[in-house]
Amino acid sequence: MNENLLTVSTSPHILGRMSVRSMYLEYIIALAPALLVGLYYFGFPALITVLLTVASAAVSDFVASKIQKKPTTLGSLHIVCMGLMLGMILPPGAPWWLPVIGGALTVFLGISIFGGIGAYPMNPVLVAWVALYISWPESMNAYFEPQALGSGDDWTEAETLLMQLKGDISTLEMVEMGKLWLGQVPGYIGSTSTWALLVGGVYLIIRRIIPWQIPVGALLGAVAMALIATYTDPRILELGYEEFAANMNVVWFHLGAGGLMIAAFFLGPEPVSSPVTPWGTFLFGVGIGLMTIIVRTWGGLVDGAFYGVLLMNAANPLLDRIRPRVIGKVVSGA
Amino acid sequence: MKLANLLKGIRLPRPPAAAPPVDLPAPEKVYLPLRQHRGAVAEAKVEPGEQVALGQVVGASEEFESATVQATVSGVVEAIVDTVDPAGQKVPAVVIKNDGADAWAEDSAMGESLTDPAGVKGTRPSHLLRRLREAGLVRAQVEGRPLHVDLSPPMAPQSYLYMTGIPVVRPVDTLIVSAVDADPPVCPNRSCLGQSIQELSVGVAALARISGAKRVILALPSGSDTAAIAAMAGPYEWEIASVSQTSYPFATDNFLVQSLTGREVPTPYGEPKDVGVVLQPMISAMDVGKVLMSGRPVIDRIFSVAGEVKNPQTFRVRLGTPISEVLAAAGGGPSRPGKIIVGGPMMGLAIFDPATPVTRETEGVFVQSAANVVAYADHPCIHCGRCVAACPVNLIPSELGKLCEFRMYEEAAYMDLMNCIECGCCAYVCPAKRPMVHFLRHGKTEVLAGRME
Repeated sequence: MNENLLTVSTSPHILGRMSVRSMYLEYIIALAPALLVGLYYFGFPALITVLLTVASAAVSDFVASKIQKKPTTLGSLHIVCMGLMLGMILPPGAPWWLPVIGGALTVFLGISIFGGIGAYPMNPVLVAWVALYISWPESMNAYFEPQALGSGDDWTEAETLLMQLKGDISTLEMVEMGKLWLGQVPGYIGSTSTWALLVGGVYLIIRRIIPWQIPVGALLGAVAMALIATYTDPRILELGYEEFAANMNVVWFHLGAGGLMIAAFFLGPEPVSSPVTPWGTFLFGVGIGLMTIIVRTWGGLVDGAFYGVLLMNAANPLLDRIRPRVIGKVVSGA
Repeated sequence: MKLANLLKGIRLPRPPAAAPPVDLPAPEKVYLPLRQHRGAVAEAKVEPGEQVALGQVVGASEEFESATVQATVSGVVEAIVDTVDPAGQKVPAVVIKNDGADAWAEDSAMGESLTDPAGVKGTRPSHLLRRLREAGLVRAQVEGRPLHVDLSPPMAPQSYLYMTGIPVVRPVDTLIVSAVDADPPVCPNRSCLGQSIQELSVGVAALARISGAKRVILALPSGSDTAAIAAMAGPYEWEIASVSQTSYPFATDNFLVQSLTGREVPTPYGEPKDVGVVLQPMISAMDVGKVLMSGRPVIDRIFSVAGEVKNPQTFRVRLGTPISEVLAAAGGGPSRPGKIIVGGPMMGLAIFDPATPVTRETEGVFVQSAANVVAYADHPCIHCGRCVAACPVNLIPSELGKLCEFRMYEEAAYMDLMNCIECGCCAYVCPAKRPMVHFLRHGKTEVLAGRME
């Protein structure tokens, strides 16, 4: 055979540097700040939980690929990233078997049953999370009071701010916003630190890995709905607007609390299960924001961000029908 | 530069500075394909063994969409053989063995010499057009059309426009001469910038005269030295526009028309002429100027060699020189050649025969070594939406790619598959390395084939 034969193929003959692996690697890098802050505040148990989730997801993927007789896709880091995200939305006090089951559910129920990467309709992390939450609500609500690393091992159980808000509207006035945004509040391992999530999310947007429309839409939707919900709250109407001193606190509180930030920047824009069209992605984000606050205010559950993402995932095919105008397309009768 | 252009498409690295073209000595043998454009094959007008002079007609056709072929060296016709054109199609070619005399044919001078734009303005457009046709000029682009076809007014209303209620025949009022290379590392236009100003001025004036354009826009790459061009354009009130070289594909025809005039060229079957704009690359305008000034056909072509060769450079090459000889002049390609691409890396055609001759439709090659040939993957679409963000014509390439992969061609056509311009942005940004352009091209071919039945 002639060594000097030329290759012939279609254009383009150069490709960008982004691969599936590098894309998910950047995702993991972007998750890192929030995860590290979480580990700092919740310590050793949190680390074990996250590691168990990732390990369980990886083993499950290996088993799934053996059952399906397909090559394993662990090299693409997709599974690792999914496991990491699930670990970040588990409570630090979860018993050891919870992350193990969660990781397996992510892979089997969320990904492999649909045919692997690219095929699943809903965010597999949240599919697993909802399954866990419905099955073991007590274990999924085992929150700790955060304490800086090495300051003792006596963990005290705590309520999250959103739980307190359900019972008492004056939480809005009492909360220390600085602590909330830094992540010094009880909550899931990786979703408490608003600043760290924001840094990671902005990095993803700059690297053009997630569309900016989803987080912007989600935050706008949440702010709008939070203002509406708070100022129509009968408890506040009773109190009188003048007496209620929180005002802008409403916005900062709802943006910082619960799972909104991680849903807006990481879980919602997860590539496979999010829409692709410009307006579709924006409405997807707005839907997440609205759902979050609706559930927080009127729902029976504590936080609605994750349910919002799942609901909007289901609306994906509809949202992807909102296509932009094709440049140069001749429209009949125009 | 529109804001939308910053968000859409892709950013390519800034191309290295371009040096002025270097003359390449005439080769031993030239291969002159009898079709160097889209359209009909010319008939050979010479026999093997015949002595031909420089500029002597060796192929011509009665067809309108056809260009005359002239001898580009003097010597003896060796044979008429089959060669391949850049698209890989067989085409007969006249082979001439160079005798080194470079003697011009006596009848090669066609009409008086026009040396300044004022002279051009005093000449009838039909006369200018006939001279271009005799010279056999072709728009420098693979599958480009002969220049006289490109410049003629539309012969009949275009039916698709007629049916959709768009004004059908719009007089041409704008001429754009673009010195921006659409596919940057291959830069014939940029390396000629500021060269042969007189030829350029005559050429632009002639193009404006023939097309009837009142407004002339010279599109120049941003950041280049344009003083000489500005001094030339000043007296004739030709406008100068600056166009970015790094935001791809916004230097291609339809996008240039849109960003410079605000008019949207209808796709897929429309062309800039439909919205009253004629667009030509600068090297075409210089060829026109050369023909009108010298009264002789153009026998060489500005040919840019980029990529993995020792000295990437732009050459002035005799038409019909095998590309392998041009590569040798550029210091030779890589030890294990991978691809030789006619045109640029984003939209060019990979050729399989390095002996493919330089023709009027080629403007340069991009060379890749075997190690750097990209590998597409058989990976499922991961629906990340990067292609949607990049697509300059607002398609949903991910969806189209899937439809075409699974043979749902009409469904893809319903989602505006036919409006794809095959710029390659979707494949460039795809993290799964899916062969997007391959899918879409295949789908388009299938749709057309299906509709023919």
